[in-house]
Amino acid sequence: MSLLALNDVNVTTEAGGRRIDVLRDVSLAVGRGELVGVVGESGAGKSMVGRLIAGMLPKGFATSRGSVTFLDRDLLAMAPRERTGLLGDAIAFVPQHPMTSLNPVLSLGAQFDEHLRRLGQDGKAARRERALAALDSVHLPRPADLLGRFPHQLSGGQCQRALIAMAFAGKPDLIVADEPTTALDVITQARVMELIDELQRDSETGLLFITHDLRLAAQHCQRLAVMYAGEIVETGPAAALLSDPLHPYTRSLVAANPGIAGPVRRLAALPDHMPGLSGFADLPGCRFAPRCPVRDAACAAARTALTEVVPGRFVRGAGACRKQASALAGQDELPRAAADAAAPPILSVDGLGKTFRSGRDWLGRRRAPVVAVDGVSLDIAPGEFVGLVGESGSGKSTVARLLLGLETPDGGRIVVDGQDITGPFQRTAKQRIALIQMIFQDPQSALNPRQRIGRLVTQSMEVRRPPARWPERLERARDLLGQTGLPQDTIGRYPVQVSGGQRQRVNIARALCTAPKVLVADEIVSGLDVSVQAQILNLLLDMRAQRQISMLFISHDLSVVRYLCSRVAIMNRGQIVEQGPTEQVFRAPQHDYTKALLAAVP
Amino acid sequence: MSGEILGIVLRRIAVAIPLMLLVSILVFIVLRLIPADPVAMSMPPNATNEDIEALRREMGLHLPVMHQYAIWLGHILEGDLGRSIAFGQPVFKLIGQSLPATIELAVLGALFATAIGLPGGILLFRLRGRPSEQAVDVGSTLMMSIPEFLWALFLILVFGVAFNLLPFAGRLPPDMTIPRVTGFLLLDCLLTGDLTAFLEAIRHMLLPALALALGTVPLIMRLLRSSLLDVIGEDYVTMARLRGVPERRVINRHALRNALLPTLSLMGVQFGFLFGGTLLVEVIYSYPGLGNLMVEAVRNTDLPIIQGAALVFALAVLTINLAVDVVYIVVNPKLRRAR
Ligand SMILES: Nc1ncnc2c1ncn2[C@@H]1O[C@H](COP(=O)(O)OP(=O)(O)OP(=O)(O)O)[C@@H](O)[C@H]1O
Ligand code: SF4
Ligand SMILES: [Mg+2]
Repeated sequence: MSLLALNDVNVTTEAGGRRIDVLRDVSLAVGRGELVGVVGESGAGKSMVGRLIAGMLPKGFATSRGSVTFLDRDLLAMAPRERTGLLGDAIAFVPQHPMTSLNPVLSLGAQFDEHLRRLGQDGKAARRERALAALDSVHLPRPADLLGRFPHQLSGGQCQRALIAMAFAGKPDLIVADEPTTALDVITQARVMELIDELQRDSETGLLFITHDLRLAAQHCQRLAVMYAGEIVETGPAAALLSDPLHPYTRSLVAANPGIAGPVRRLAALPDHMPGLSGFADLPGCRFAPRCPVRDAACAAARTALTEVVPGRFVRGAGACRKQASALAGQDELPRAAADAAAPPILSVDGLGKTFRSGRDWLGRRRAPVVAVDGVSLDIAPGEFVGLVGESGSGKSTVARLLLGLETPDGGRIVVDGQDITGPFQRTAKQRIALIQMIFQDPQSALNPRQRIGRLVTQSMEVRRPPARWPERLERARDLLGQTGLPQDTIGRYPVQVSGGQRQRVNIARALCTAPKVLVADEIVSGLDVSVQAQILNLLLDMRAQRQISMLFISHDLSVVRYLCSRVAIMNRGQIVEQGPTEQVFRAPQHDYTKALLAAVP
Repeated sequence: MSGEILGIVLRRIAVAIPLMLLVSILVFIVLRLIPADPVAMSMPPNATNEDIEALRREMGLHLPVMHQYAIWLGHILEGDLGRSIAFGQPVFKLIGQSLPATIELAVLGALFATAIGLPGGILLFRLRGRPSEQAVDVGSTLMMSIPEFLWALFLILVFGVAFNLLPFAGRLPPDMTIPRVTGFLLLDCLLTGDLTAFLEAIRHMLLPALALALGTVPLIMRLLRSSLLDVIGEDYVTMARLRGVPERRVINRHALRNALLPTLSLMGVQFGFLFGGTLLVEVIYSYPGLGNLMVEAVRNTDLPIIQGAALVFALAVLTINLAVDVVYIVVNPKLRRAR
């Protein structure tokens, strides 16, 4: 008998006068001591499953069908009070954002104390003992010291360990962890996942692990459920699901994910993106049909159901997907674009350094200077993509800002196409604009929401003297949209009127406007879903093939860097600790930090 | 932790000292600029030129301005604020007599503002999304545009005149006296064991204190409401709910403590204004405090008193800000030193 069982649950809301099933026919079971993963892209409804279990659906959302049983009791029929009573005790949660999930004005000790008292532990001293033991169980050193600290004095990893300790403190029957490692660095993520595995192994606790990362889920879970647009499209044992995905969506998820080892093949990217909530209403049949490569005429209207295709493996669908899947369409191995070694580098950085001496804090104490970039040297050949990898705070973005002239370096030289552009921005602005452009991390905030896309992508033509005429700009805008795979009708739209993936294309188009020699891309795919990420990565590859563009590709994601870049530089604490051809660095890392990074990739 | 807070207090005091000096310079200069001759004012009409010259010398008015200021400041630091021209008494003593009444009034006003404002803010927050929210919202906006002296008049009209519920002049009924011990009337009543007088004193303070409070209340309410609305969407609030913390406690312990921070800094500024507001309110209620003394002095061009009172007002505002800063630091751990 399973611990938690969702049976054909529909969660419904109303939008624009129509009833919309945010979750449709969701069935899911977690057994005692079992680790089950729920995987899907943003907006698939994963968090809604967590909220359903917690009994905290957002305003205007309600369960319209199905049942949720926990320990043989119907949660939906339970009195709200009784249901709240289960939270934290029998059902515990691990949040996505550990840093902001602890109350900033209460010490960790006070929050533990409250929690343990809620769990019925009498006596302040006894509660303290238990808190110390709990912190010890998540391998946090010096727990007594930690109890006196406030959240802002802890790192993200420490916060998440503390929250995990709280979750396990009541020996709950079930833990729901919604993206528990998404906000953490790769290395910290690996350690936290290890910890969850360990604690869960030692207990009878069932764990529902919600994530967008299929590989990570497959690595840690016994069973997986893949969600798309509010439905579970495939469930099965984790290993089989990853190695031999059955549903076309799962297959495309696997195919869209560049690996960290093995041959590098061109990613098979699905067209378009997952519909938003209001789009669900127009999809009475298979919700995946608009993007499905094997759909047939009946799919869009057909009622779909989960069917057991292979023993123990279920697939939702009505068409070709129900037959056992054919092998993935083989993609050709990508030729590694060997950079022209003889050509002089297009970008050459030598001994770049930047130290921030950021004044005083509010009490007038002098802050310690921060060495953000320390003697960084790097060459990029024409037509070469070089990856710059490191954790958050390692100085990657500062390197980008120095290259663009947004910060002035303390030392070193930046030479692009034979021209020294090291000086402050004003002096070198003209040269820079034609030579080097930046693609920003967050297109949402990088694009002025009040300007139309046609204007946005040709913004750099405004600074020309005399300024470019509008027909000329329009023509250029059309050309740029074409180059970046955007439909021509986006030219008159505002940034909010296009999807996240399209916004990133707009961002890229804008950087291409002056036909620069070098692009600097800072984490440009980290906010995107894998299927959209694959589209963008392929776009960048096509751009490189068509024109000799060079790029410094900054990312924390090693597999993405491996896919795009022929050379890679690993950055840690402001220094490049290792650089070389990507394959060589990944196969035989020399520096301990590189080894740790590679080992942490799921 | 307490040592740390002591350090912060000392630092704030260190910042306050030059501020006070600046204020004193301002007061000094402004009073020099006023076209009123302090010498002529303190002399009988039949004084001779020699008499005047002698007094000028005695008062140091023949010295350079900087020197005069130094002497003046030296006197002040010794507690010598000069003599009142109208009353002939030392200013220090006069202020000492009237200040406690004002402090009492301002403290009670601040207490009222807090006692009405904070629960009011929580109420506004609880009403969110309900039809009654609109009404309360409009009401509080309206309240916000009424200055305290209008409140004072309004309260007199309603509670004093129309319903004749509460007195609105002085600190005690005319036939009642209490021996002066500390100057703080409420305290003195208790010290002398006179409960009737204590209740009477409270009754007399209710309207002026309320008038002072009502100007601040809607600001506190609205800021607390909007801070609560911000905070309620925070991850730690969701997480507290997910740990099974009852909703009441989620609001009172987790949300409120964070939402109070911005409200607290607002209250610091507002209570400074509130202290300044005593001036008009005291006049309206014939309340014998510093405000009344000051207004009387302005009427008589009694420069020494004006000087002294201005300095005391400045000092009071600085002290209030300091106190609020300290409270702010105590409740906001982010401002404490990272260990
Ligand atoms: N409070 C809300 N009000 C309205 N719509 C909401 C609300 N919360 C979620 N939704 C919508 O419900 C759908 C499912 O959202 P959900 O948060 O469960 O997705 P998710 O899979 O967790 O995505 P992510 O990976 O971004 O966390 C989305 O279309 C989302 O826009
Ligand atoms: S039902 Fe049709 S459209 Fe949907 S996944 Fe199956 S084959 Fe594709
Ligand atoms: Mg989510």
